[in-house]
Amino acid sequence: MRPKEFVYHRARDLDHALALLAEHGEEARPISGGQSLVPMMNLRLARPDHLVDVNDLGLDEIREEAGALHVGAMVRHERYLTDPLIRRHLPALLEAVHWIGHPTIRRNGTLGGSLCHADPTAELPAMAVLHGARIVLASTAGRREVAACDFFKGAYMTDVQPGEMLVSVIFPCPQGAHSGAFEELGERLGDFAMGSFGVVLEHEGGVIRRAATVCGGAKMTPIRLPEIEAALQGQTLAGLDAAALGDRVTGLIAPAGDFQVSAEYRRALIGELAGRALQRARDIALNAQP
Amino acid sequence: MKAETPRQIGARVLRLEDPRLLSGRARYIDDIRPANCLHLKFVRAQVAHARLLDVDTSMLADLEPAVTVFTGKDIGKLSMKSHQDYPEMQYAEQPLLAQGRVRFVGEPIAAVLAEDAYLAEDAAEMVFADFDFLDPVTTMEQALDPAVQPLFDHWKNNTWVERQMKGGDLQAARAAAAHVIRRTYTNQRHTGVPMEGRGVVAEYDPGQRFLTVWSSTQMPHLVRTYIAEELGLPESRIRVIAPDVGGGFGVKGQVFGEEVLVAWCAIQTGRPVKWIEDRRENLMASIHARDHRHTLEAYVSAEGRLLGLKADITVDIGAYSTYPFSAAGESGMAAKVMPGPYDFQAYEATFRSLATNKCPNGTYRGVARPSAVFSQERLMDDIAREIGMDPIAFRLKNIIRTFPYRNVLGFSYDPGSYVESLEKTRELLAPDFARASATAGDPNRRIGVGIACFIEQTAHGTPDFTRRRVPIETGYIAARLEVMTDGHVLIDLGLQNHGQGLETTMAQVASDALGITPDRIYVRHGDTSAPYSVGTWGSRGGPLGGGAVHLAATEIAGKMRAIAAHLLQAPVGSVQLGDNKAFVSDQPDRFVDLAYVARSALRNVDRLPEGMAPGLAAEASVDGPKDGSYSNAVHAAVVDIDLRTGKLKLLRYVVVEDCGTILNPLVVDGQVRGGVVQGIGSALWEHFVYDAEGQPLTTSFADYLMPQAPEIPMIEVHHFETPTSLTPLGAKGLGEGGAIGPPAAIANAVTHALDIGVTGTPLTASVLWHLAKTAREGG
Ligand SMILES: Cc1cc2nc3c(=O)[nH]c(=O)nc-3n(C[C@H](O)[C@H](O)[C@H](O)COP(=O)(O)OP(=O)(O)OC[C@H]3O[C@@H](n4cnc5c(N)ncnc54)[C@H](O)[C@@H]3O)c2cc1C
Repeated sequence: MRPKEFVYHRARDLDHALALLAEHGEEARPISGGQSLVPMMNLRLARPDHLVDVNDLGLDEIREEAGALHVGAMVRHERYLTDPLIRRHLPALLEAVHWIGHPTIRRNGTLGGSLCHADPTAELPAMAVLHGARIVLASTAGRREVAACDFFKGAYMTDVQPGEMLVSVIFPCPQGAHSGAFEELGERLGDFAMGSFGVVLEHEGGVIRRAATVCGGAKMTPIRLPEIEAALQGQTLAGLDAAALGDRVTGLIAPAGDFQVSAEYRRALIGELAGRALQRARDIALNAQP
Repeated sequence: MKAETPRQIGARVLRLEDPRLLSGRARYIDDIRPANCLHLKFVRAQVAHARLLDVDTSMLADLEPAVTVFTGKDIGKLSMKSHQDYPEMQYAEQPLLAQGRVRFVGEPIAAVLAEDAYLAEDAAEMVFADFDFLDPVTTMEQALDPAVQPLFDHWKNNTWVERQMKGGDLQAARAAAAHVIRRTYTNQRHTGVPMEGRGVVAEYDPGQRFLTVWSSTQMPHLVRTYIAEELGLPESRIRVIAPDVGGGFGVKGQVFGEEVLVAWCAIQTGRPVKWIEDRRENLMASIHARDHRHTLEAYVSAEGRLLGLKADITVDIGAYSTYPFSAAGESGMAAKVMPGPYDFQAYEATFRSLATNKCPNGTYRGVARPSAVFSQERLMDDIAREIGMDPIAFRLKNIIRTFPYRNVLGFSYDPGSYVESLEKTRELLAPDFARASATAGDPNRRIGVGIACFIEQTAHGTPDFTRRRVPIETGYIAARLEVMTDGHVLIDLGLQNHGQGLETTMAQVASDALGITPDRIYVRHGDTSAPYSVGTWGSRGGPLGGGAVHLAATEIAGKMRAIAAHLLQAPVGSVQLGDNKAFVSDQPDRFVDLAYVARSALRNVDRLPEGMAPGLAAEASVDGPKDGSYSNAVHAAVVDIDLRTGKLKLLRYVVVEDCGTILNPLVVDGQVRGGVVQGIGSALWEHFVYDAEGQPLTTSFADYLMPQAPEIPMIEVHHFETPTSLTPLGAKGLGEGGAIGPPAAIANAVTHALDIGVTGTPLTASVLWHLAKTAREGG
């Protein structure tokens, strides 16, 4: 469990990092928190010849601009737990972050690393999909934005091309009165989830104006459930039957089983978590009503 | 002055080794860094079963700096041999590097030695093996199928051994039974996973012709003997040292092929050689454990008396027989202990060990007993459920009440607190039974209470091993004590301390006998410089090792008293030892420092009584009594299950235990709690999964799930103390007990909560959800 030999570059600034990534192309990998990449390298599942350390690049802002939060690639998971903008605008994300690993992992792991690692049940990729985030990638050729739903291509696969790195993520803020909730279950606290469900409800006068949902564990990438979102839209909060919607979620998904978790269980679990998340999002919204 | 030292045995003494262990000053195997050392990396089989046609190392020839590589062709007949002397047992050896066939994923094929560990790992990737694939044997069914080719060419089938044990008249018991209850129970393959994996460093001094081997082992002397015999070296010219060992749990209680091979490589290359196991190797190719299936049939009278028990026990031992407990040990142990703490006199067990293409199955804390107790105690609950009795009342009706008790196999149980422990548990759990009832109809949640009542044969020694004809052969533990000129004491202990608190408890024992305070007593262990012993395992260190220290210390104390009597001009009978002094009983002012006594014995020998030989050292050994000494315990678990997610929460865990004389309550509680945590892992998560090709799927901590602090409740420990007359201090063993009860207690709690008989472990959320569903649908 020792990595193969590699060359370590500590990038001074973004241009330097992009130049290094351009120079070494497929042979290079950015390293940020190292919480996923280093274990992969030790197991020799990742074998980069060049590591471009992006820890000195800044990229650690959380800033509000034009109805969206711009979150830098280097923002560490634990930052969200105390950030007022996150608390105000992205309550589902705030809940989700509590489920990421353990304190040490949250202290080191970064947004860019989590999204680019793209574990199928990781929380931040799910939050990017839930909020319809846009992912900003940079290379020496310039910048481009990719919608979160197009960014994740499969388990541990993303749209990042050789020479590119993630620099920030734009999370559109839910509009008007809103509530959010996130539920997941792993065997032990801090484990990757067997299933998860997140929801954001935008509401006005006791009626849901718009809803977003995300489901982790149903597929190899986080997925939205448009049928559920459509069913929620126009519903009164008071009349929302969360458990029934949870059952409907079960009908919409067909997750895979593995040697630890049966497919049937995972399916029922996600439906149950959906019901609970919806119930809590509803209760939070109702409690916040004037 | 009053020179009265408080009694050390039984005192809550903080562990003397902890400052070292907790401040990063311990010295583990990887801290042993001889100059000019070569680093060894094993190339391990990536297929489960194949003929090994060739190992191609040609790509290593031109590497700079140069590397050395050995394969099965280089090692002659060096192998691990572990055979139990049963006529039915099929014989097999494991070559130290595979020859002719590989039999599990992880089996060493080649050893690559390089200037540093990174280069060794790089080079190991360039070794290629050419295989002719064979069908892997990956299940018990396949192993039992006569049509399946045996793992070894000269074998007739894939059964290492199948034997029987019996006592009493089972026919009569069956005939008299009002109820016959038959169940099959299983325990999954898992093991003890120490924080520190295995590791070996060996250095050969050609001038002295002396081999020094450091190994993270629980049994240095056995490693030394095996190396001497296998490599043909005089045992006097080998020293084996176990430095601080970061967890053993029985898993490091075997002699490993890697230990022999690293020593051999050091001799071959003329340079020190170091091998540090990585986590992948550790999970894939160290030692696995459990993997039992038991079918039990109980014969019960109309009044709820257990009349007899029939057991059919199968254990998947994997590819090779491990030394020194062999492929027969695990299944034989299950058969031996299955009668447990209950009073019945008809028993018949068939036990068998199967060979499969999996990592060898060896000893892990509890050794077969967690599985046996799982089946035994699940069965007790299943019987109680079937005949409509309260599970505790049913146990109380059948529990052994008179001692010594001769069990159905002829083993003699010394006195314990079987009834008291059950009654105490019932009393402690009354509020939990009440809250369990309160959730009985809740559609989303159930609380359940379960117990496991068991005994553990501890302090077993030579008579037990002779009876079982195990390669271990012997079981005594020895210690040598030496008082230095300054009155400080060195104990050379034939045990190895890897978490048992032996550096503290042995000092306590010596202190009471010598009247020397523990801060002046140094316990050196894990080193073949100590008198020959078989190491630390099997809940024997306290009763037997403690006994040996006590006997040796008592002998020295007698001599110190005689010297002091002479110096004080007082009758020997009036001299007492305490607080580092010898004093005259009724005249505490008349004393002499023990340091002065020691100096008189070793340097100023002119002060000795006439004719007395110099020196203040003694050696003693204690072997296990004929049938060992039986500790007993009741474990109780209270679980809260979310029926809709399968999530189980442990609300409470209670242990009521009796290990005879308690040497140090803090150490006893620590041992119990640590064991319980491991047992919780056995019950809920830990599982080595193989696919149909024999590929291990759980080779990192991402997939092999161990208990973590948030999942563990406070573990309450209550004690009864029934000293045994069979060991010098009245102590029984307790190191393993904590790990024995949890699978049964938790499974019984789940059974209670869900109202469905649990038949196996691990009880993951997925499994629990399916159980709850089956129960709901009236399965
Ligand atoms: C024990 C443990 C438990 C964990 N549990 C969880 C959990 O429950 N939920 C969860 O979501 N995560 C979990 N993680 C993973 C953790 O959140 C990681 O921090 C995260 O997945 C990766 O972030 P990182 O900054 O450490 O990335 P790194 O490890 O540095 O990199 C990960 C990958 O992203 C690439 N990369 C990094 N930064 C960039 C960038 N700016 N642009 C392009 N590519 C980049 C790297 O090249 C690499 O391929 C766990 C990790 C561990 C060790």
